[in-house]
Amino acid sequence: MSRRTEFEFLGRVTIGQYLPTGSTLHRLDPRTKLLVCLLLIAVVVASQSLLGIMLLLGAVLVGLALAHIPLSFALSGLRTMLPYLLLLALLQTFAIPQYAANATVLWRWAMLTITDRSILAGILLIARFSVMVLGLSLFSFSTTTTELTHGIEHLLRPWQKLGLPAHELALTVNIALRFVPIIAEEAERLMKAQASRGADFGRGRNFIQRTRKLLPLLVPLFLVSLRRADNLIEAMEARCYLGGKGRTHLIHLQAHVADYIALAAACALMALVIGLSTANADQLLWRLLSTYL
Amino acid sequence: MSTTTRKIVIAGVMGAISIFLGASHLGFIPWLAGAALTIMHVPVIIGAVLEGPVVGLAIGLIFGAFSLLQAAIAPTGPADVWFTNPLVSIVPRLFIGPMAWLAYKALKTTNEALSLAISGVVGSLTNTILVLGVLGLYRFLPWALIGTIAVTNGLPEAVVAAIITLAVVAAWKRLESGRRSSTI
Repeated sequence: MSRRTEFEFLGRVTIGQYLPTGSTLHRLDPRTKLLVCLLLIAVVVASQSLLGIMLLLGAVLVGLALAHIPLSFALSGLRTMLPYLLLLALLQTFAIPQYAANATVLWRWAMLTITDRSILAGILLIARFSVMVLGLSLFSFSTTTTELTHGIEHLLRPWQKLGLPAHELALTVNIALRFVPIIAEEAERLMKAQASRGADFGRGRNFIQRTRKLLPLLVPLFLVSLRRADNLIEAMEARCYLGGKGRTHLIHLQAHVADYIALAAACALMALVIGLSTANADQLLWRLLSTYL
Repeated sequence: MSTTTRKIVIAGVMGAISIFLGASHLGFIPWLAGAALTIMHVPVIIGAVLEGPVVGLAIGLIFGAFSLLQAAIAPTGPADVWFTNPLVSIVPRLFIGPMAWLAYKALKTTNEALSLAISGVVGSLTNTILVLGVLGLYRFLPWALIGTIAVTNGLPEAVVAAIITLAVVAAWKRLESGRRSSTI
């Protein structure tokens, strides 16, 4: 692996990685994967129950196994974040007063207090983050960007009748994804050109100086991109691009039985997690355990 | 005349610049020990100033969604733990564009350069205040610390955003008028 110089941006800009293992999960309709991913995000944010989040973690690990993703690879992202994670969990446990009237104080020293609520908050932080990282990584391992944009467009299409510019939004995302490597290439070229003329980026006494030193890179980057945008606009209009009205599509996504099964399973799981959260299952479990132990 | 095609493409290209600045760490101006001033919200401001609030909203959405993805898939620092929550990473960013556009429109007639700088400040402060506000409401950080961060990090970031917005939009408008106008 050759050492990458500070100029080479193209290699660094990866929006997640796609791992083509050809599993059933990879072959699912991108709409299914997108919907399950959105459900996952919503439920992870909304659920207050540690039990529920642990269930989600288990489900995501099962998903990773189904997609034939090597577990060590998937966990590598979490591993790098482990020290920060612990630091923040400690911060939440110690320094943030959890305004719960009936929280039992476990330990007190000067301004720092630990209540059972705050420990739970710290553990929840770690658990939520883990589920998010593994879930979104699973999504990016199993979906290409093309599939992603097709999925977004198809999903937003029914809303088009209600006035949401679905086609336009999908095209915007498509253009953004397509332009990122172009801009990376452009930035690399600009940086090399400026450096060869003796420009000194990012080294100044205060931040205003550093910003002004970055301007010879940033301003041309924006201007070149805006000029390319102008070219694209002209090209689209020259080919009579009239927007999404009455537009037919080359790719038609077909949902199979596996998609419906996956979606049903995901919905059931999310309903269960939300149910556990609203029924305060954590407290019930705690009471159950404390009577037996 | 701003057609839909123009809006779509500008939103896409500015979104791409925002993604690139985030992914390549060019968007982080190192400052003090470890902390950095970010400029990934500046394309949102520039897009809103050039093409309007809807475009600003779209670019903000792309910026927010990408910061969520980056925090989850390739996290780099402690703040990424909070940014996996869409209420922290996406919802506040939706307001950057419209607020910057409002500031620009309000001051455009008095002084173009001033309106650009002020819209940069307003957009950046919107980002700072809303994101820190959500972090505070979630009790991820104590309010006293949030206030400190807002002043020590948010104000310089606002100045940086103003400088870049002014430089880019002034150069672009001069270029545009230079190309189209004729003295003959």
